[in-house]
Amino acid sequence: MSDRPDNTSRCPFTLDRRRFLQGLGAAGAAAGLGGSAWAGSRDDAAGAHAVTGAPVSTTTQQSHPFHGRHQQGILTPRPATGMVVVCDVLARDRAGLERLLRILTERIAFLTQGGTYPKRDPSYPPADSGILGPTIAPDALTVTVSLGASVFDERFGLANAKPKHLQRMTGFPNDALEPARCHGDLSLQICANTHDTTIHALRDIIKYTPGLLMVRWKQEGTVPVMPPSPDLPAPSARNYLGFRDGTANPNTDDDALMNALVWTGADPDEPDWTHGGSYQVVRIIRNFVERWDRAQLAEQEAIFGRRKESGAPLSGGSEYDKPDYANDVDGQITPLDAHIRLANPRTPGFEKHRILRRPFNYSNGVEANGQLDMGLLFIVYQADLEAGFITVQNRLNGEPLEEYIKPVGGGYFFTLPGAIDEHDVLGRSLLEATAPHA
Amino acid sequence: MSPRALFFAASVFGLMALQTPAQADIDPQELVEPIAEYKLYVLDNLDQFVSHTEKFTQAIEAGDLERAQALYAPTRVYYERIEPIAELFADLDASIDAREDDYEHGVEDPDFTGFHRLEYGLFKEQTTQGFTPYAKQLMTDVNDLEARVQDLTFPPAQVVGGAAALMEEVAATKVSGEEDRYSHTDLWDFQGNVDGSQKIFELFKPLVAEQDPAFVERVEENFTAVEATLAHYRREADNPKAGFVSYEKVSETDRRAFVGPVTVLAEDLATLRGKLGL
Repeated sequence: MSDRPDNTSRCPFTLDRRRFLQGLGAAGAAAGLGGSAWAGSRDDAAGAHAVTGAPVSTTTQQSHPFHGRHQQGILTPRPATGMVVVCDVLARDRAGLERLLRILTERIAFLTQGGTYPKRDPSYPPADSGILGPTIAPDALTVTVSLGASVFDERFGLANAKPKHLQRMTGFPNDALEPARCHGDLSLQICANTHDTTIHALRDIIKYTPGLLMVRWKQEGTVPVMPPSPDLPAPSARNYLGFRDGTANPNTDDDALMNALVWTGADPDEPDWTHGGSYQVVRIIRNFVERWDRAQLAEQEAIFGRRKESGAPLSGGSEYDKPDYANDVDGQITPLDAHIRLANPRTPGFEKHRILRRPFNYSNGVEANGQLDMGLLFIVYQADLEAGFITVQNRLNGEPLEEYIKPVGGGYFFTLPGAIDEHDVLGRSLLEATAPHA
Repeated sequence: MSPRALFFAASVFGLMALQTPAQADIDPQELVEPIAEYKLYVLDNLDQFVSHTEKFTQAIEAGDLERAQALYAPTRVYYERIEPIAELFADLDASIDAREDDYEHGVEDPDFTGFHRLEYGLFKEQTTQGFTPYAKQLMTDVNDLEARVQDLTFPPAQVVGGAAALMEEVAATKVSGEEDRYSHTDLWDFQGNVDGSQKIFELFKPLVAEQDPAFVERVEENFTAVEATLAHYRREADNPKAGFVSYEKVSETDRRAFVGPVTVLAEDLATLRGKLGL
């Protein structure tokens, strides 16, 4: 409330006094080490900042190319942190939307490659939040821009160009959707090696898009970090139920498979502008972890259809071995309603329903009942929303896992094709396809 | 024009307030007149604030619930206009305008006084009973505020920064409808903040108009956009004194329509000090 001018920090007496007191503290600490902190005016005695010195990462210079036929953040190896930020577009007309897409393209191109901000006269607000210091390291940052069905209304003249399957998410039988955490015009999936890099990117984007975007909801998540593994392929990361997640993902090195399953373009009924894009599904799936931790291990494994420790299918082998359902038609080994068996029965022709999972775990706080509010920030990509997530989720309805999970938010979006070079802008193909005739 | 060319044309309007700003070249003497003008504006509003608070608190002491409810919002407007100055006195700002969220024990907290304590009584509990001590305290605080402002030398940075600070108030607590959660008179406060911000902008506009005409034009456009949306919710189109309908009546679309121009105003007006070399 108060903004009373406070000049005490400029008072030389106060400053000297503070240094004096700090000196005393440092001397106290140094005495035990046999040193002296009385000399000099700097606060950099060895060991003085062992507690508050910045933690070190060796991966801050990792970067992923921004330009390309597809956006980053889909086939890009998933880093340790990610968030989905869903916004409403405040731009009032098509020119405003074009400006938004141009600014987003510029900001993401800069942020994902790193660099420095212009210096300003100190009587102006600084160009950057400064939370990462004066030089921004890329830190494997990716920002992926997708549009919700609501943006294809009358505001921007996009109504005739809506991707064939894009729709407002509707609740499934086990969902308890909270309106404040559902839907929206535009989603930003922001991922990086460290959480602060994603926060920095978000604050930059908010600062540079005033009047164009309004954040509607946001969900942050993480992936547990593992020591380097000699095994290839690397084991999948675990979710907050303790199981490996994403084991059955399609092979992202297989271009033909990606063109069939992830990138929109094969379906002649899709508008041409969508080629190279993908359908993005986001779901906030609460996990009832206390109850789960009290369930017997055998039940947990039967629910998923996998061994908890190794991730191997119940039919045997190791994590990446295919489950054997052919010799188990009655579900004696892998129950017929096990999660992985419902999601992918491995029957001929089911290949086209496979989806690319890229989830994060989230932990938000505490519910009124004292139980932890945590779960899965489920993110998947597919070339065809109906054949992909919607088909798979409909098969999962009623699965035994539902006793331990509750989807509470999310939405369906269409991830724009990539910006191919520095002259291109995200959303160009959409805007060209819908340009008013001159 | 090809769509590709359109992008480049659009980029002229690019980063708005975030372009590399020009160095300020303002003679401090030029600030004297607008600061003096602003002090007159504040004193005039304080004068009105005192007399409205007298009527408001008298209605409470007289047990006239309906009249007290009717006078709540029209009294606060004067305070909302001059908040950048009023907030310099943190003790009075707390006792006059704190909200229950500022106290761990909320409404029950013995330190919670002022307009919002009275709002809770008048609009939630629907009574004036037992509120005379709060009314007397409010009157004392408001008189104290007037006396202190009379003696105050207005700090130029505080005055100029006030234009943005008022828009931050709107962005933080008015758009969400949390300021006046029981009376739902948020639009009155909203208008008061906008009036106060616009006044500061108008007073200093001549000093920045030459330096950055696009800035001036954009700020004026966004003030106009906010005023236009506010106008939809006036009780009587031609009579500003009649005030506004309940914030509950403001559509989700219009709440959102406020956010855009208010955020751009907050960003733009945050550069006003820089433009004036303050």
